[in-house]
Amino acid sequence: MDRRTYLGTVGIAGLTSVAGCLGGVLSGENTGESNTTLGSPEMNRGDPSYPIHGEEFPSFSLRDPLAEETVSLEDIVGERPFVITYFYSSCPDGMCQQLLQHLHRIQEDAIESDYADELGLLAMTFDPDRDTAEPLRTYGTQMGIDVDAGHWHFLRPSDNETAKTLLEETFGLPLRRDDETSDGSANESTNESANESSDTGGEYTFTHSALVQLVNDRGIVERAYPKASNQRDGVNTQVMVEDVRTVVGVNE
Amino acid sequence: MRRRDLLAGIGSAGVLVGGGAVAAFGIPSPSNSTNGENDSDDSSGIVGKRREPLEIETVDAPGSEAGTVRVPASDQPTFIDFFATWCAPCEKQMDALVEAHQRVGDEVRFLSVTSESISDSELAAWWDEHDGDWTIGLDPTAELTSLYWGTPYPSAVSIDASGRVRWAETGVKSADELVAGIERAFGDGDTADGDE
Repeated sequence: MDRRTYLGTVGIAGLTSVAGCLGGVLSGENTGESNTTLGSPEMNRGDPSYPIHGEEFPSFSLRDPLAEETVSLEDIVGERPFVITYFYSSCPDGMCQQLLQHLHRIQEDAIESDYADELGLLAMTFDPDRDTAEPLRTYGTQMGIDVDAGHWHFLRPSDNETAKTLLEETFGLPLRRDDETSDGSANESTNESANESSDTGGEYTFTHSALVQLVNDRGIVERAYPKASNQRDGVNTQVMVEDVRTVVGVNE
Repeated sequence: MRRRDLLAGIGSAGVLVGGGAVAAFGIPSPSNSTNGENDSDDSSGIVGKRREPLEIETVDAPGSEAGTVRVPASDQPTFIDFFATWCAPCEKQMDALVEAHQRVGDEVRFLSVTSESISDSELAAWWDEHDGDWTIGLDPTAELTSLYWGTPYPSAVSIDASGRVRWAETGVKSADELVAGIERAFGDGDTADGDE
């Protein structure tokens, strides 16, 4: 525990500035027993509705329709850290694609560096009505993901209403369904891509968060990556891979 | 600067993103940019960065030979189009890529790279059907794609001969936009371009 905390601090120093870490320690945020390997994030993102660094990840129990098994937080805690994101495969704009791409790269790094068994990778759909087993398999495979790997789990609530409640009330992520209007635009925006989808009448989309979270084997969030569909210095695939390696303990 | 405008545009959607129309796939309008809600860690994009060279596999397809290629090239600028065959906007962009390749393909290592799971023959058939005529690289582990922030698809980057990223943009681009972006990488690296 002490050793991992120490290593975590070292790992973070490589990613962000040393001042950021020391600042956390000196201001008392990191004193005493730490439940996390990673230090406090350099960025203060306020107090979002979803769990962030140092907070407990909410309990859940959801079906993995490909492995045909139930996956729960309790199954994972005590066993291994995990990375989770929330998406739907009909996502028209590349946002969800980007979220799964992060997980794809983490999966590949885990396989290459031989820690695939020490990490869980979870992707929960909030559109289970359309995201049944086969569409999920197709989507994941398109993204290059090995969806049959033991550490990979699509999570599928039983129906869309349940999914929305779960997402908003358990995971703390707002979700809005946008049914397309007769002119084909899903909302007030009228850009090119919306107009082009006008022939998919009756379709719906979602306005949703693009969040990835890294949770340690004690069920505590190590890092939340908001707006993760938008790569930038603080939030990008490589940062996630490095954080995962630090939390799993493969970086020493 | 274009890249930062783009990022700001996406960021301005706030915590909520997506919706049918917010468009990593389309082209977010820079005029909608507001920096107010942006994360302050959007300090810079990929432009200006250098990455360790990677060797990637190439595919036997029209204009492309099976083998390997070093990315970035050591002796000339490199252009990378990150794409997937299932990505409709990528299909749409092929005409513009064909024209850009005809115009500046001789002056740059011109590459399209995919990280999808697809057989070489399927990939070559798609390539032929869409008039591709340059090197296709494979990135099955998404390592290259991650290094250059090559998602969501399509995304493009141009890298100068010294290995420094000079231009990057996500979304469907016209031939003129592609050529202009590629030409950003033709400088000797000393030219001030405001991307610092």
